Amino acid sequence: MSKIENFSYDNKIVRDFGIATTIWGIVGMLVGLIAALQLIWPVCNVTQYFTFGRIRPLHTNAVIFAFVGNGIFMGVYYSLQRLLKARMWSDKLSKIHFWGWQAIILAAAITLPLGFTSSHEYAELEWPIDIAIAVIWIVFGLNMFGTMLKRRENHLYVAIWFYIATWVTVTVLHIFNNLEIPVSMMKSIPVFAGVQDALIQWWYGHNAVAFFLTTPYLGLMYYFLPKAANRPVYSYRLSIIHFWALIFIYIWAGPHHLLYTSLPDWAQTLGTAFSIMLIAPSWGGMLNGLLTLRGAWDRVRRDPILKFMVVAVTSYGMATLEGPLLSFKSINAISHYTDWTVGHVHIGTLGWNGMLTFGVLYWLWPRLYGTKLFSTKLANTHFWLGTLGTMFYAIPLYWAGWTQSMMWKKFTADGFLAYGNFLETVTQIIPMYMVRALGGTIYLVGVCLMAYNLWKTAKAGTLIANVEASAPARVKYIPKKSDHWHSWIERRPIQLLIGSAIMVLIGGMVEIFPMLIIDDNVPKIASVHPYTPLELEGRDLYIREGCVNCHSQMIRPFRSETERYGEYSKSGEFIYDRPFLWGSKRTGPDLHRIGKKYSHSWHYNHMLDPETMSPGSIMPPYPWLLTQDLNTDYTVAKIKVLKMLNTPYPKKYEEKALDDLTTQALKIANELREQGADQEGLENKEIVALIAYLQRLGTDIKPKK
Amino acid sequence: MYKYILETAGNINWMAVFSLLTFFIIFSISIYLVVVKKESDLKHMAELPLADDNQNTKS
Repeated sequence: MSKIENFSYDNKIVRDFGIATTIWGIVGMLVGLIAALQLIWPVCNVTQYFTFGRIRPLHTNAVIFAFVGNGIFMGVYYSLQRLLKARMWSDKLSKIHFWGWQAIILAAAITLPLGFTSSHEYAELEWPIDIAIAVIWIVFGLNMFGTMLKRRENHLYVAIWFYIATWVTVTVLHIFNNLEIPVSMMKSIPVFAGVQDALIQWWYGHNAVAFFLTTPYLGLMYYFLPKAANRPVYSYRLSIIHFWALIFIYIWAGPHHLLYTSLPDWAQTLGTAFSIMLIAPSWGGMLNGLLTLRGAWDRVRRDPILKFMVVAVTSYGMATLEGPLLSFKSINAISHYTDWTVGHVHIGTLGWNGMLTFGVLYWLWPRLYGTKLFSTKLANTHFWLGTLGTMFYAIPLYWAGWTQSMMWKKFTADGFLAYGNFLETVTQIIPMYMVRALGGTIYLVGVCLMAYNLWKTAKAGTLIANVEASAPARVKYIPKKSDHWHSWIERRPIQLLIGSAIMVLIGGMVEIFPMLIIDDNVPKIASVHPYTPLELEGRDLYIREGCVNCHSQMIRPFRSETERYGEYSKSGEFIYDRPFLWGSKRTGPDLHRIGKKYSHSWHYNHMLDPETMSPGSIMPPYPWLLTQDLNTDYTVAKIKVLKMLNTPYPKKYEEKALDDLTTQALKIANELREQGADQEGLENKEIVALIAYLQRLGTDIKPKK
Repeated sequence: MYKYILETAGNINWMAVFSLLTFFIIFSISIYLVVVKKESDLKHMAELPLADDNQNTKS
């Protein structure tokens, strides 16, 4: 028998992350609610810093990385210490991790409304913040692996495997999707362009869902559900298969976000095939969670914590069935670009992440403060508000998605689009948006009730910052003859890290490397040329304003789309697009063939007040584009970086880029004046650059007159 | 574009076969290892979360 060692668990860090997840949860959801209201009443877009295009990424980043992120760390810091029978390796690293992460969130909350964005969904933050994220993530990893190395328990419980896979995969994803060259302190240009950028972005985007919103939460489920139900997981065998199958398959599924786009068919097919295969491990995990409650269902009726967890696991099951179904090309043809996707995502986030976080918080708080929950009744009320809020949120969006998609695709008996004016398909779904906003409000009220309940609980008790514990010192495990490979790896965190890395890298490499190294995957089109300096600046304004959040630039090869927008998009048209701007949602129409469709003055007036050109439009006005001078301080630097990335500008073009910019701006300003837009110094204003970009869009392959 | 991709499809077929084979192998190995795992080890692992903490809430 080995010596008994006394030590303590660090509860303070768990409490801190718990407070952070609650506060950021309220903030992130409030921003989401404001964004939802902006889609009903454009007047809610107040000032240029708070338009839908800028705060939508603020909402997604806040709920993913601030609410869920802090929720992950709260659960990991609590469970890891106890499963390993060891205090965190370094209290200092825990503190650096906590404050570093909060500083990153604050930086996001400041820079995103200011328009600093890389435009990669869920990876919008600019390069200095990307570096900070990498540093803090490594701090977290060091602390986690340090704790594993000094543990007293030989075996690593399955929850820890999920934490390890999360850490290694997020590291890989973060690095690859943020390979960019800085142009200035808050602006960078991605290394990859067009289709390649799109594939890497959605490989990242999908796996942000997989390895930030799912695998760490599965780890939490495997720890906190048995704790709350007071019984072991239904099948430990199943959890092992769940783990390996899930992490191997998930990494391949990214291309299902790009079905019917210019991505080569083979990559789309791989994405679809692996997405469908995902049903098996996902449902295996869900059933394992639900069956853990066998014999305890009577308690589920009484215990709000178990209620939250049951709804969370059920939502996980629903979302992971719906996801693969949406990956069928025939279903995706209907769902993509519509609110169906938004509804689907929120079943996952509100239902799975939200409800599990709340369940864990209600379970943890009385233990952290050595008291009982202030009000079980209030927690039950929160449960019903959360469940109803999720339903009121998601169901109208499913309805909206189907309605809009059917309207986009409807033809008259004479073969014309039944709803040729895109706006008709938007105004039709405004009532659904109203119900969605109501659902979001209900959900948010529930979270506020929880914050109050937790605050009162904390007031009633005293924080037990350090929990005394004792356990036998770890004795070196002597392998038995009957041991298998898996028993070996279960006791070795570093080898498990390497094994998980290999699993996820296989998918990444097979899928992405051919896209990067085989030029033939993106056939070149001779008439496609790099953007002019003015167009480049206009494109960066388009990125700054977050236009991509509502407008796609990818016409799929459907008759309903080519009739509405023009020729379908070709991969060769995007080879100079850094970053790609295909978008994922059409709240407004696709813009890939908008070039030369309208006059300069139409765009000028439309940006000044969209309702004058499109009555009933929910697009916010952008009057500041007409008054703010175009910043050309970094134009030369941008051209230099693009040349470094093999964009074929002429030799020494950077020396004459600004002259070309001025000439083109003058030309557009004069044309605008001829069309009636009489404004002093127009050629220096941002609107001219944006018009230059919009008028260029999709025109490279149009026959020249 | 489609014509071009079809022309080169022969070169990428290995990817689909490779990925499915890899998955099949990994899945089969994990099933085998799980099946041969000792009951006592599984029980010990499954009960780790329940045995880790003596801190309880007042109720």
